Order: sequence, then C-alpha cells, then structure tokens
Amino acid sequence: MHYDAVIIGSGPAGSVTARFAAETGAKVLIIERRAEVGVPVLCGEGISQKVDTYKVLEGKRWIATKMQGARIFSPNKTMITLAAEYAGNETGYVVFRDIFDQELARGAANKGAELLLNTRAVSLLKKNGKINGIKAQQFDETIDIEADIVVGADGVESRVGRWAGIKTTLKPYDLETCIQYTLTNIDWDSPYCDFFLGKHVAPGGYVWIFPKGKDTANVGIGILASLSDAGKAKYYLDKFIASQPALKKGQPLRILTGADPVAEPIQSVADNLLLVGDAARQVDPITGGGLMHSIEAGKYAGETIGKAVEKQQFDIKMLSEYETRWKESFGKKLHRNYVVKEIMLDMDDKTLDMLADSLKDYKFEEFSTLSIIKALVTKHPSLLVKLTPLMKLARA
Amino acid sequence: MAKHKAIVKKEKCLACGGCISVCPQDAILWISSKAVVDSTLCNSCSICVKTCPIGAIVWEGTEDAL
Ligand SMILES: Cc1cc2nc3c(=O)[nH]c(=O)nc-3n(C[C@H](O)[C@H](O)[C@H](O)COP(=O)(O)OP(=O)(O)OC[C@H]3O[C@@H](n4cnc5c(N)ncnc54)[C@H](O)[C@@H]3O)c2cc1C
Ligand code: SF4
Ligand code: SF4
Repeated sequence: MHYDAVIIGSGPAGSVTARFAAETGAKVLIIERRAEVGVPVLCGEGISQKVDTYKVLEGKRWIATKMQGARIFSPNKTMITLAAEYAGNETGYVVFRDIFDQELARGAANKGAELLLNTRAVSLLKKNGKINGIKAQQFDETIDIEADIVVGADGVESRVGRWAGIKTTLKPYDLETCIQYTLTNIDWDSPYCDFFLGKHVAPGGYVWIFPKGKDTANVGIGILASLSDAGKAKYYLDKFIASQPALKKGQPLRILTGADPVAEPIQSVADNLLLVGDAARQVDPITGGGLMHSIEAGKYAGETIGKAVEKQQFDIKMLSEYETRWKESFGKKLHRNYVVKEIMLDMDDKTLDMLADSLKDYKFEEFSTLSIIKALVTKHPSLLVKLTPLMKLARA
Repeated sequence: MAKHKAIVKKEKCLACGGCISVCPQDAILWISSKAVVDSTLCNSCSICVKTCPIGAIVWEGTEDAL
C-alpha cells in the first residue's frame, strides 16, 4: 500500500486534514484505532458558530443546541455574561460530537480519502533514515502502510510526534483531567453555556454546564493534573452537582473521562511529518477548547500536503508553510492565553471575585485584552500588580 | 519495602488517555481499549495515580483493599 499521506486519527484534526488534502487530488488514508469514528465521545461539545465559515459540515444533524452566549460565575457567584460573538471558541453550538466527527469524516471520504478502522499505528517506518510510512496493528495482524507524509492527528495522547523525536509528554501542570456526565431530567432550560470557577469548585480549572435540549446538559469538570489526586475530579464534580438544586434530580445518560492539554504549542513539522490538533497542542490553555483550532489547522495542513505532493517535496522546509500559517493565525493567542492561565492559577478566590466584580457590567464590545485590563484596574486598582505581565503582552 | 508499581483497575478505566499523556516513562499503553501499565517500565512516580479523574489507578498490592 502506498499513499501520499497517512493520517493517524479520525478526530476533527485528522478528518479535516484528509478532506483538504484529498481535495487537491492527493491519495490519503486515515487510520483510526477505534471501531467507530467519534465514539466514545470525549468532549464538552461546545463550539463557536465560526465553524460554519469552514463549510466542512452539512445539514444540522450534528447540532444539539444553539447558544446565545456564555456566563462565567466567580467563586462568590458574581456573574459575567458574554454574547456568543465574544465568548470564544467554545460557545455557539453544543454539538453531538459523535455525529459531528462522523460528518467531518464523511466530508473527507466524499473528497476521496480512505478510512481504516480498528487500526492502530504502532511505529514509524523509515527508509534511509527518512520517515516513509507507519507500521500498524489491525486486529491481530501487523501491516506496513507506506506514505510520503505521516500526519499525527492522534490527539492528547499523541505518540506519533514522540516517535519522530518531538517531546509530547505533558507535564501535569499542562493537563486538565476531566470527567463529565450528560445529565437528563434537570431543570436547566438555558440559552447559555455556563462556567464556574473557584478553588473549592475546580482547582486549576472549572465546572461547565453546556445545555443539550431543554432538560439535558453536559455537566463536566476539568482540574489541573498537578493539583489533582486519585479520583479528585469526580469528587469535585459530584459535590458541585449535589450543591445545585436544579441538577440534583438529574440522571446520567453518559459518563466520560477526558484529558485536555493546556500546554504551549509544540513543534508541529519535521521531514515527512506533520502534527495537527491536540497532538500539536493547538488548544486554548485557558478554556481547553480545541475543536475550532483543530479544524482551522487541519485545513492548512491539508492544503500544504496538496502542495507538497504536487512538488514531490516532503522535507521540513516544504511542510513548514503549515506551521507558519497556523502560528500566524492563532499561535500568538495560544501563547498569550498560556500566560493568562499562569496568572489565573496564582489568583486566590478573592481576586477572582474582584475580577468578576470589575467585569460584570462591562460591555464586551471593545474586546481587547488592554481594554479589559483597564476596566479591571479602574474598579479594583489592587489587581494592577497581578495583571502586569498580561499588560506587557497586550502591548507587545 | 520495594516500591509499588502503578496498576490500572480495568473495570474502572473509561479510556480517556490522561494517564498515557502524562506518564514520563511511557509505561502505559492500550490493551483492548483499556490503559495498562507495563510494570517493567513504571518508576512509581505516582503522576498517573494522581491524574486519573476517577481513581482507576492504584498501587499494586493495594488493589483488592480498595
Ligand atoms: C472532557 C473534555 C471536554 C472538552 N470540551 C471541549 C469543548 O467543549 N469545546 C472544544 O472546542 N474542545 C473541547 N475539548 C477539546 C477537544 O475535545 C479536542 O481539542 C479535540 O477533540 C481535538 O481533536 P483532534 O482531532 O486533535 O483529536 P481527537 O478528537 O482526540 O482525535 C484523535 C483520534 O486519534 C485516534 N488515535 C490515537 N492514537 C492512535 C493510534 N496510535 N492509531 C490510530 N488512531 C489513534 C483516537 O482514537 C482519536 O479518535 C474537550 C476535551 C475534553 C477532554
Ligand atoms: S486516566 Fe484513568 S480513566 Fe483515563 S485512561 Fe488512564 S486509567 Fe483510564
Ligand atoms: S507511576 Fe509514574 S512511571 Fe509508573 S505508570 Fe504511573 S506515571 Fe508512569
């Protein structure tokens, strides 16, 4: 078997990469270790309506609910409301991630991409020191798949980068460890995605409620792994649910655990190799949202593969165009938000409450880091010291 | 006392890959869609035990007590 590109992982990053590569005429194969694309779901399922602009999803079957915006609750329950257009990459639609992922994969297949399920990449193939495909385990058989380009779209646990010498092991400080119930029979008919902060709510993370229909919602938690202990995420989530009268009667339709990288992005290209999506740590370090970036980066990756195949040139020099494009588009934001993550981790509950108090009446029309900082320090000048590193970044 | 190795209680594991993402020894792999520790590689650092959101990873020898 020989392909122009073999893509490891059929998540959004893999399928969108495959779609745009196949569209240029490249011969691409996606391999997926699971038995069904998108299953099991490991996600809060919130995404910005910006996803529509990529035209990679047909129809509306993948949409569970359309959201008006987001609300953030500080430890003392001071509320900040954000309209959807300012609420970042996680608010707009709550989706059915299994259907969502399958629609993206269908789009790739329609453009000519092939898919192999139950097929797990186990190592890279090399010829004369150069990557030229992968070895995979399919049921109980080992197969060689030759390809000029190997794409690691293998998610948070990414091995592909590691095999190529890129350091992908996450420090506990850079991982949110998560658990989520899809609860039904709750009193929660809200057009908002809600986020709850606080050391006693979710250490180093947050609790989220993303509505799916009128009496059902994804209720989940992420806590920073460096602040975690065995089973602590579940402990905090159960405690939160018990404290909310509207959720108490809830019954679970689904339970999932998850791991979300909140790291700085890493090197995403090497000779004959690309990393896309969570594998490249293209996740917002504050919110943990990665769907939009996976789709955007997948588009760039697919287009770069197309050009590389046309020129039959697969070295890092050729493939770097991909890295340049995604870093220009959102690399700076990821870096800035990583700094914000570190600042927020240093804040105690009182400071978070002060922040929320400063922002609760703020009109999020002029949404720049600097304008928000101004609003903050006008009301609570003592916040100034804590926000100095951020101001430097905002001015840079 | 010899250091205990981490071990995944497979009936509890919900297969999120969190432990695999943070293990500094690359000691955790998938077997039949559950995380499994290769005890020859584990150095007992406890990172995976603390990371698992549902407490599915325990120390070898204590798994029955839990
Ligand atoms: C609990 C939780 C909640 C989240 N909520 C949100 C949210 O609300 N909004 C948002 O935008 N983001 C959210 N995220 C992040 C989002 O889920 C990811 O950013 C997104 O899934 C990344 O897509 P991907 O294609 O890079 O990786 P994935 O979707 O993880 O896909 C990787 C695929 O690769 C496969 N694979 C891995 N290794 C191999 C191998 N060796 N061989 C073959 N196949 C392999 C896996 O089986 C998987 O199907 C959340 C994450 C978690 C954990
Ligand atoms: S972190 Fe826990 S639930 Fe997740 S794969 Fe590891 S053992 Fe399983
Ligand atoms: S205890 Fe440390 S070395 Fe052992 S499996 Fe867990 S994370 Fe890896």
